[in-house]
Amino acid sequence: MFNISKFTKPTWLSVSWLGLMLFLAVFGSLLPFKSWKFVYENDLGVVPFSPGHILGTDNNGYDLLVSLVAGTRMSVFIAITAVSLGGLIGSALGITAAFVRGKVDTVMSTVFNVGLAVPNLVLALALVSVLATNVDINQAVPTWRRVMVLIISLTIVLIPILGRIARGATLSWSGRDFVTAARSMGMRDRKIIMKHIVPNVLPALIAVAFLAVGVVIIAEASLSILGVGIPDGASWGGMIARGRNDLEYSPHVLYIPIIVLAITVISTNHLGDVIRASLDRRESKV
Amino acid sequence: MSKFGFWLQRVTQVLIVLLLVTFGASLLLRLIPVDLATILIPNGSESEREILRTEIGLNKGPIGYYLQWLGNFVHGDLGKIYFSGGTETVSGHLAKAMPRSLLLMAYTQVLALSVAIPLGVISAYRAGRRTDRIISNVLFVMSSIPGFAIALILIIVVGVKLAWLPTLGYATYSEGIWEHFKHMLMPVLSLSFGLIATYTRLLRADMIASLREDYVTMAMSKGLSDRRILWKHVFRPSSITLFTSAALSMGGLIGGAIVIESIFATYGVGFEIFVAIAGRQYISLQSCVAVIALFYVFFNLIVDIGSGFVDPRTRDRRVNV
Amino acid sequence: MNSLLSIKDLNVSFDTPRGMLEAVRNVDIEIAAGMSVGIVGESGSGKTVLSRAAMGLLQGSNVHRTGTVVFDGHELTAMTRPEVRSHFGTGMAMIFQDPMTALNPVRRIGAQISESLIFRLGMSKKDALKRSLELLQLVRIPDAKSMLRKFPYQLSGGMRQRVMIAIAISCNPKLLFADEPTTALDVTVQAQILQLLRELREDLGMAMVLVTHDLGVVAGNTDYVAVMYAGQVVEFSPTTKLFADMRMPYTEALLESIPKIDHPAGKRLLAIAGRLPDPTDRGSGCSFAPRCRYSQAKCLEESPTLKTDPDGHLYRCLFPIGEAL
Repeated sequence: MFNISKFTKPTWLSVSWLGLMLFLAVFGSLLPFKSWKFVYENDLGVVPFSPGHILGTDNNGYDLLVSLVAGTRMSVFIAITAVSLGGLIGSALGITAAFVRGKVDTVMSTVFNVGLAVPNLVLALALVSVLATNVDINQAVPTWRRVMVLIISLTIVLIPILGRIARGATLSWSGRDFVTAARSMGMRDRKIIMKHIVPNVLPALIAVAFLAVGVVIIAEASLSILGVGIPDGASWGGMIARGRNDLEYSPHVLYIPIIVLAITVISTNHLGDVIRASLDRRESKV
Repeated sequence: MSKFGFWLQRVTQVLIVLLLVTFGASLLLRLIPVDLATILIPNGSESEREILRTEIGLNKGPIGYYLQWLGNFVHGDLGKIYFSGGTETVSGHLAKAMPRSLLLMAYTQVLALSVAIPLGVISAYRAGRRTDRIISNVLFVMSSIPGFAIALILIIVVGVKLAWLPTLGYATYSEGIWEHFKHMLMPVLSLSFGLIATYTRLLRADMIASLREDYVTMAMSKGLSDRRILWKHVFRPSSITLFTSAALSMGGLIGGAIVIESIFATYGVGFEIFVAIAGRQYISLQSCVAVIALFYVFFNLIVDIGSGFVDPRTRDRRVNV
Repeated sequence: MNSLLSIKDLNVSFDTPRGMLEAVRNVDIEIAAGMSVGIVGESGSGKTVLSRAAMGLLQGSNVHRTGTVVFDGHELTAMTRPEVRSHFGTGMAMIFQDPMTALNPVRRIGAQISESLIFRLGMSKKDALKRSLELLQLVRIPDAKSMLRKFPYQLSGGMRQRVMIAIAISCNPKLLFADEPTTALDVTVQAQILQLLRELREDLGMAMVLVTHDLGVVAGNTDYVAVMYAGQVVEFSPTTKLFADMRMPYTEALLESIPKIDHPAGKRLLAIAGRLPDPTDRGSGCSFAPRCRYSQAKCLEESPTLKTDPDGHLYRCLFPIGEAL
């Protein structure tokens, strides 16, 4: 499917950027930084490229490079987990529905339609705000639980989106002759799905999954800006939300997470497009 | 199948989806591990809470609660918002917020389409050449930048640094047309940014496909000018997907508008949702979600009907289904 | 010969991902006013590209055209696009193979016919619609009045082809390119459309270029025939003479592929064994040699040039039929 030698410059840049983000997410904690909660009381609102603080600090005295590495870990973790879960569940449901047809398909399609009848962000917002309600309403919800709730909600949002695509792709493949041939040979449904449907549907799903990563990153940031996401600047969205307070005097506090987030989304979208384009070429050759 | 039968089936589908969405929303409320009455009026006494429970049906099972909510909903009673000083109706809030949100979205669509249509036509006409490549690349980057990022950058640069436009609030027509647009400009720009890219790419792809059609060569052989061929012969059949997706994007726009409205404090439906969540007014949240779903699904239905008028072929196809 | 259309050394090639595709190679054709010329060949032989390139209808940065095309004393190949356009409709017009795809699906028949009248002849909208009605009657469409309000999808294939002919003749062109005008139609409708074209041509004094893969269509409808293979004209002669005395083995093979009366309708004939040569790789030797039943060793090495019989019959073959080996 891929031909590395045919990668264009933007593709290489996207791959390298996403590699860097992944590296920061995985090995960020090993970097020789102080805790992201450490406050440099004498360095408030330091501009970027200053000695000691490459990306500067915000008006609370948090070092932005350290915050960014911590935020990257959170945002990348949420995005990858939600997309993997949503992709697995969604494609399992979509492929089954399209392969079995009949009542199962009707029910599944209706469920997808219900999910799609509510705009992404509205659905995520409703789920997060309700699921993150604490038993003792006067106590703040702990961060780990917010992260869990966020992942679950975003997964639920992604299931109908990815599910419908898996269903559509399966429908178009399961009508082809080699599936009928496999059936006529007495192959079991489970085996047909694993051997004939999944390998063909997978590339399309991977392309969409890249786009979904972008959707999730933006959704997480939006939720944080609305105050129901990750608090205390612990994710890109959280950094943006906190940066809004410094907007007038230290705009770089906002620019940094916005730029990082934008480049990441541009990269995932670009790779999604590249995969889809190579798929289209493959299809046109068939 | 008859035309009537087709529409009946379509409307039934829509109604089922709507019932399931609203039921899901109300079920979600009942899944909260905490007593809803306590959340809604945290400072109220136990007797006040008891009254509230009976009033909105919390003492019934999930289905009884839903049916009561649904009954009220179809009669225009969307529930109440509870303050420490008293209550206000959700419908009253929405009556004020809805027109603002609709205006915001209408402006956004007009701006996005009026930029995207010429861009799409030009880049399809110049497909593969320099102009097209530049437009495509710029648009690709635009489509990846979320609206809130644009909003925040606009606020910093245009609102704070240059101090040209107000960064917060909303002005009605009666407060002056000029004031109104000054308050709307930045939210509209933030929302339309990504749409411009989406629309241009869609239109370009469709126009390029149409340009390969024989009827374009036919139109050329009639001796018509490029301009006339592009607009009269190519744009119209190609615009169906564009207008369909424009209508369908209303839903996504509502979502995006929540963030944008809360950033600019535009007091639309999105801001209403934001306030409902921040104040834990979940009855209001439930009704707002239902209203948005209603609008969203309704728009899709309109698109279905509308596309038949743009493309006569679909009119026929419908009848033959 | 008083030439209406004169094509000299026309070459058309396309940039493709697989390399340069040479669709038309060194074509010379002269067409006099009122004359009818058939261009015959298999699909992929370059006949459609030739007719479109002659009118300058091929667009795009990947199209390369060299050679000269002179129409009615004007050198089209040296003109700007708007200048070329000024000859469309009134000078040259074209009808297409598939009337379903060649008529704009979202515009009414009336609008599509009157468009040329309004923009090429400067008629008022009202006059143009009136003339459109006459044109529809001229191409013998029943109930022409209601036809003006209809969309293409509401018409049968034969009716659509008549509408397209009405559009093409609306500005009284001197030359009509008919690109496989009957291929997409039923056999009975084919005959009607050919009959209509013949009569219109006589009434209006139009010259016609009839592009087709079917030698049978050419037989009663053209004065001259140009046979094309792999982008080249391989045989050119008066129609009657071609059928009586063909020189090119390819033409003979093509003739044998015409469906006979007893051939089941709708069944595709296996035309000629083998396939057209790769248009991106024009090797040495005669292009037809690999499929030719008379081919000799020499055919694979030497490219034949166009030879002329004393009577003006042109052919491109080293060992033409009827010549002692």
